[in-house]
Amino acid sequence: MGFSVRWFGVSVIAAACLLAAATGSAAAPSSAGATAAGQTFVYDSYTQVMINWDPATAYDQEQVALENMYETLTSFNTKTQTIEPLLATSWKKSQGGKLWTFTLRRGVRFHTGRPFNAQAAKAAILRMKKLNQAAAYAWAAVKSITTPTPYTLALHLAYPQPMDLISSAQYSAYMYDVKASGTEDLAKWFGAGHDAGTGPYEVKTAAPGQEVELTLKQFPGYWGGWHGKHYTNIVYRIVRQDSTAVQLVRSGQVSFVQQMSPQLWATVKGSPGLRTPTSSSFENLLLYLNTASGPLQSKAVRQAISDAIDYNGIVTALKGAAIRQPGIIPTGLFGHSPTVPLHSYDVARATQLLASAGFGPGKNKITLSMTYTQGDSNEQLISTLIKSNLAPLNIDLNVQALTTSTKYAKARSTNPADRQDMTFIYWYPDYPDPATWFISLLHTQSPPSFNFAYYSNTTLDKQIDSIERITASNPAQAKTIYRQMEMTVFNDVPIISLYTVEKQRIVLDSVQGYQDNPAYVDVVFVYKIHPKA
Amino acid sequence: MSAVEAIGAPGPRGLARSLFSWAGANPLLVVGGSMVLVVGVVAVFAPLIAPYPADAGSATHPLEIFKPPSAAHLFGTDQVGRDIFSRVAYGTRVSPLIALAVVAIASVVGVTLGLVAGFAGGIVDEAIMRVTDVFLAVPALLLALAFAAVLPPSTSSTILAITISWWPWYARLARGEAASVSRRRYVENGRVLGLTRRRLLLRHVFPNATTPVLIQASLDFGGVILTAAALSFLGLGAQDPTPEWGLMVNEGRSFFQTYWWVVTFPGLAILFSAAAFNLLGDGLRDRLDPRRAVAR
Repeated sequence: MGFSVRWFGVSVIAAACLLAAATGSAAAPSSAGATAAGQTFVYDSYTQVMINWDPATAYDQEQVALENMYETLTSFNTKTQTIEPLLATSWKKSQGGKLWTFTLRRGVRFHTGRPFNAQAAKAAILRMKKLNQAAAYAWAAVKSITTPTPYTLALHLAYPQPMDLISSAQYSAYMYDVKASGTEDLAKWFGAGHDAGTGPYEVKTAAPGQEVELTLKQFPGYWGGWHGKHYTNIVYRIVRQDSTAVQLVRSGQVSFVQQMSPQLWATVKGSPGLRTPTSSSFENLLLYLNTASGPLQSKAVRQAISDAIDYNGIVTALKGAAIRQPGIIPTGLFGHSPTVPLHSYDVARATQLLASAGFGPGKNKITLSMTYTQGDSNEQLISTLIKSNLAPLNIDLNVQALTTSTKYAKARSTNPADRQDMTFIYWYPDYPDPATWFISLLHTQSPPSFNFAYYSNTTLDKQIDSIERITASNPAQAKTIYRQMEMTVFNDVPIISLYTVEKQRIVLDSVQGYQDNPAYVDVVFVYKIHPKA
Repeated sequence: MSAVEAIGAPGPRGLARSLFSWAGANPLLVVGGSMVLVVGVVAVFAPLIAPYPADAGSATHPLEIFKPPSAAHLFGTDQVGRDIFSRVAYGTRVSPLIALAVVAIASVVGVTLGLVAGFAGGIVDEAIMRVTDVFLAVPALLLALAFAAVLPPSTSSTILAITISWWPWYARLARGEAASVSRRRYVENGRVLGLTRRRLLLRHVFPNATTPVLIQASLDFGGVILTAAALSFLGLGAQDPTPEWGLMVNEGRSFFQTYWWVVTFPGLAILFSAAAFNLLGDGLRDRLDPRRAVAR
């Protein structure tokens, strides 16, 4: 018979390969050589960790690693709701909260070998203020800094601010050696994969773009010492496939999985050797709508989009990883107002709004672009659901998965035509305070930093500019203003809060002492945990 | 009764019987043809076969996520609650259609260039075939990947990317046939008799090249389906909610170990259709290729 087995064989093998590839990435996880065995703690992240190495300007996911390399003057204990000493052993406020005096810990050295003292702390804060990026707004009230003694730092404020709390922030509050680079530009020096903190761990290897992106090692000169049981190394491993992450943690090759699909997470529950803790958070997933260009310039279209999304469907699909809350300030934070209305799923109203703008079923079609972070299965799922919600309204949504840095580059493009119409961001407070949602995401920005709605509202800007000062002097009035700002956001729809995140982790049983601290999102303070003997 | 029927020309039934008789001599042709027929029938009657036609489009059902196979959902549901059976059924309208489009465009472009090169010879032949060689130097899948990567991901981009990597094979095949035929005596006689180049090409050279091209095209269907699936699997092809099988495998791969049905059924659909077209192609080659016929 003239049967050529070649093509049949090729087709069978290729189809089988396609099927195998579905799980293939999970089957070959060891190429990176990282292992959670023994004294190494392996942190599994679904996306790039070190986007910006500069502790003064880092404002993304870097804190999960920076918190192990750098320290702040104080730290916030969410469980006890207290501010605890760290690099400052004590502090006091005077002059009606306009003078804060911190007594600094003695015997602390930077990883560069230089001593940490009041002068070094002052230099770090002044540089953060000068660069004025990330959460530097928190230091805006600081008028001047003096160092009465080598280990006393005095912050003189223009208006009262909770500097003990601000000093505990997870961004723009790190103490670092400003002289670390010598004559070289400090930001460039950091960008080359260096650190200059006082934390328990220091950089061992950095490989941007690689699966094992960063490895930290114990800093021998750490002021806390290395008595007792501690991990010797920390590995930050980027695993973009949830199925791979499950296999890695099941086989003990990673110690901690930051986030994964709730459906897969549920299947891991009860697995021997693994724990699946959950915790509430101050983090919400926000959807930006481009108010500056394209069809979403129309307020009616934005309102229609907000009515077209099936929020309960999203929460249902995320099976316990999401809860709905009114407004963009999460429950539990100052300024949260339960009386802010929830966006609701109302297709009839969405249709009416679109019709008023000349769009909708039977009218002009709208084509929108949406980006989400590659590797984030939740964002991928939500994109599909939103696309599905918008399709009957004659809105075609082109969804694109991009790496975090590419997503930001697109959002920050100088050409508005290159920017997306919609994108997601997870947002959480820099310190337990709600101002960041408005300052970082909604205040007029040119060029855009994180205002990817490109929203500009002079009234809101004025409210934002004064809110921190009012919060310190008149909390009741501040609450009223926060509600007004929430209503502005609700009506103008530059941003929609889709849900507040319920953290679902996977932790190896051998990891002892782990506790989630919502004030430091996704951070594992590795010095405070240890491997089981 | 017409004169033609009077002398015994087959009617529709007779034609079908003859076709079955012709194909029946080759089991590959029968099996492959039957499988392709199944794919075709499902494609044509997808709206009747699929219990949830809307699920092949933009519909989602958050309450129905990851339901295992059951009477309500024969192949289960996917990560957004869509009925996989409906999507696989509608997928017969996507992947085979991509294959049809690619093979049609690639064969028209390739055969035209090949015939011109083979018939004209000289510098025209050299120019066309060197360009063809450049394309042939790179594996088809890699070339398709490269083109798909720079095009916006969509079904039409998939067709374009694969076509760009596929036409050279037809050009080379047609060129060989054309070069061989154009040196035969009856073509030389045609030239002497003053037939135009166009007439010679279309009436005498082209018909002789159709059989190998037809065989190659039938064999290519399966390969194109797999390539299209591979591009979609890599996120460079069709986009959600298009029920393209490769895309379905890609979207479900994270859940394969727990929700096996999400990946398995679209994967089997790829296997079935690719095998169907390959068996059909092999069968056609056995029947139509005179060299094979001699070998038998």
